[in-house]
Amino acid sequence: MVAGPFRRAALGAVVASVLLPASAGADELGDLKQALETAKQQMKEMEAVHRRQIEALEGRVRAVERRSNAAANAATTQPPAQASKDQHGSYSIGGLDLDLGVTADLAAGGSSVPNSILSQLQAADHDPNKNGFRLKSLEWIASGTVDPYFDAQATLALQIDAEGETKLELEEAFATTRGLPYGLQAKAGMYFTEFGRANTQHSHEWAFVDQSFVATRLLGPDGLRSPGARLSWLTPLPFFSEITVGVQNSDGETVFGFLSEENEELLIPAGGGEEEEEEEGGDKRQIRNLGDLLYSARWLNGFDLSDTVSMNIGVSGAIGPNDTDANADTFLLGSDIYIKWQPVSNERGFPFVSLQAEGILREFEFRGEDGDEDLEDYGFYTQALWGFKPGWVAGLRFGYADANDQDLFNGPFRDERMRLSPNITWYPSENSLIRLQYNRDWFDFDEDAGGDEDTADTIWVQFVWSLGAHAAHGF
Amino acid sequence: MRRFLLALCLAVLGGWPGIAAARVDIVATTTDLAAIARAVGGGDVVAVSLTSGAADPHFAAAKPSMIRRVFDADLLLSVGAELEVGWLPAVLQAARNPRVLPGRSGHLDLSTAVVLRDARTGPVSRAMGHVHAAGNPHYWLDPRNGRLIAAAIAARLERLDPNNAAGYRSRLAAFTADLDQRIPVWRDKLAPLAGRPVIAYHESLVYLASAFGFEIVDEVEPLPGVAPTAAHLSGLVATIRDRGVRLLIMEPYYERRSAAFLEDKTGVRPVIIPQSVGALPDVKTYPGLFDAIVAAFAEAGNLR
Repeated sequence: MVAGPFRRAALGAVVASVLLPASAGADELGDLKQALETAKQQMKEMEAVHRRQIEALEGRVRAVERRSNAAANAATTQPPAQASKDQHGSYSIGGLDLDLGVTADLAAGGSSVPNSILSQLQAADHDPNKNGFRLKSLEWIASGTVDPYFDAQATLALQIDAEGETKLELEEAFATTRGLPYGLQAKAGMYFTEFGRANTQHSHEWAFVDQSFVATRLLGPDGLRSPGARLSWLTPLPFFSEITVGVQNSDGETVFGFLSEENEELLIPAGGGEEEEEEEGGDKRQIRNLGDLLYSARWLNGFDLSDTVSMNIGVSGAIGPNDTDANADTFLLGSDIYIKWQPVSNERGFPFVSLQAEGILREFEFRGEDGDEDLEDYGFYTQALWGFKPGWVAGLRFGYADANDQDLFNGPFRDERMRLSPNITWYPSENSLIRLQYNRDWFDFDEDAGGDEDTADTIWVQFVWSLGAHAAHGF
Repeated sequence: MRRFLLALCLAVLGGWPGIAAARVDIVATTTDLAAIARAVGGGDVVAVSLTSGAADPHFAAAKPSMIRRVFDADLLLSVGAELEVGWLPAVLQAARNPRVLPGRSGHLDLSTAVVLRDARTGPVSRAMGHVHAAGNPHYWLDPRNGRLIAAAIAARLERLDPNNAAGYRSRLAAFTADLDQRIPVWRDKLAPLAGRPVIAYHESLVYLASAFGFEIVDEVEPLPGVAPTAAHLSGLVATIRDRGVRLLIMEPYYERRSAAFLEDKTGVRPVIIPQSVGALPDVKTYPGLFDAIVAAFAEAGNLR
């Protein structure tokens, strides 16, 4: 449709070139040349006018098409989810700004140790934790833009726990601002605390079948998450540098190490004799004032080291109360680094190599009848992933954790532990994966409790599929 | 130490929006859009691309440096039609720059400036592979669309920066005139291709086919974005023989084994098409991209 003007221009040039040799004189030639230039100029101007007209008409045609398409869609009984979708994701349902996704995460495996020990080695809420099959999670995600001011996301997870019971939990439900000035962004709701790298990831995003036990021990079996609000600031430094400060409730199931009831079961198990005292007293510590909330901060920096190597480096901290005493606090300190290499010319994101390491220290101020102890737990994991051909990733992860005062409190959350996990993953597409992983565990808690196991060998197979939308990939 | 602090302060001030922003800061998702923006914007703009021309824009990683660039941008140019859906939303969310969010004047989705091919009207399923329901997003490979892209960018720049409107208009006129002059030349050079059947690797070269009149009869990928299988390749061998296909056109970032296999079996010649500005080191402008594409065909020898 834009070819018309060209054809005319070409025709003009041809006609002129035929006419030119026929007319002889030099003056005449000059005149003709000038006339030709003028004609060309006029033609161009006309063409510009035509182009503008064509563009205006095209715009109107598109508008009409859109209207008639919308009318046609409204008229037919087509399922609305077919309106628009893509590999990664946007289902626009009836023109609504709502992305929906369902992700199933299934694992199966067998171990050299019985379920009683295996469930303590694999203590995270979404870990595979018994011989045989387990539906680790079935996650329902709804997300979208609320209005010009907010984006929102809600995640529900169903799972079948080790006892075979179906369990429903609210993982996250939060809104973030879209339009704050000066690089600020606020978030409010129930969300994973932005502490380190692993904590904010949902189970199906892990590059391994299970959560690193270091994160499980130090940030809790279900991650550190709670209702609250946070403000984050993208600083004007010439590189990516983001500071996040947040405040969240310090009580509930998912604030392990703070006012969580799981502390007594896992971190300071009975034996110290102190909590009987507390139970007689009957009143647990509650949030009474601003000082009893959980405060967290993170500083994350990102650099491109070259065209092919990028890196993130972060430090995180958190402080909140624990319920051994009215003034007892728990501190968390963490640092993390992530480096990724990917050639510029890559095929579907392959090949790549990524290295990730994270270290976490927790200090738990234990205030008991028999005296005060500062319980220190610490650990680190490091993992490498190698996407060696399109769709194929080999991984290796090593984790180590230990704690002080093990004579006072011991068990699977405090003994000296190590785990080595090689795995291999095949992604048939962006929306499914099949993974094979071997775990070698070294642990003390069974022998400490009078048993005779101190190592475990476990093979896991994992299958993840996802329907509908899934969020665009962050770095 | 003091010097370091001073440098830091300057860097902070320099990065602060508004203070150092005399020129329109344009961030484009691809090198092609950045190149056209530079041609139209001249010295009144600074235009950078988030991705390299040598990379497949479907699969860019949302790097922290991209977030930093988008944070500062006055104008974000995207190809749209879901090409960047895997990474741009994450960058936009993290970059918290309200000026360049969809719907604002600082966000220009160029797929709205052209007529997309292959828009799906019926049901779309992932069983069809990586299908873009809105239409095929590789529209910059038709040089006639280059004029529409440039006109849309110029119009947006006039709106954002009215003081320099005359400059944008005159550079747009020059850019358009230059393309108008070159398009017939490229067509002449590729005239032997007209009407010929060709195999492509991915469903990304349909605009090129339409601009130069050749026919893409099949793809190496069995479904868009799905890696070729042995069964599909042997089917292609038959197609190539039956239809007398001479050329297999593909972007440089795809694997070459399938092409080598097909060449070995049928003699079909692979032509590596630089699909974007920067796909080859010396392709620096949008018209230069088509010079390079024409040269790539010429290298393949007799096109008939």
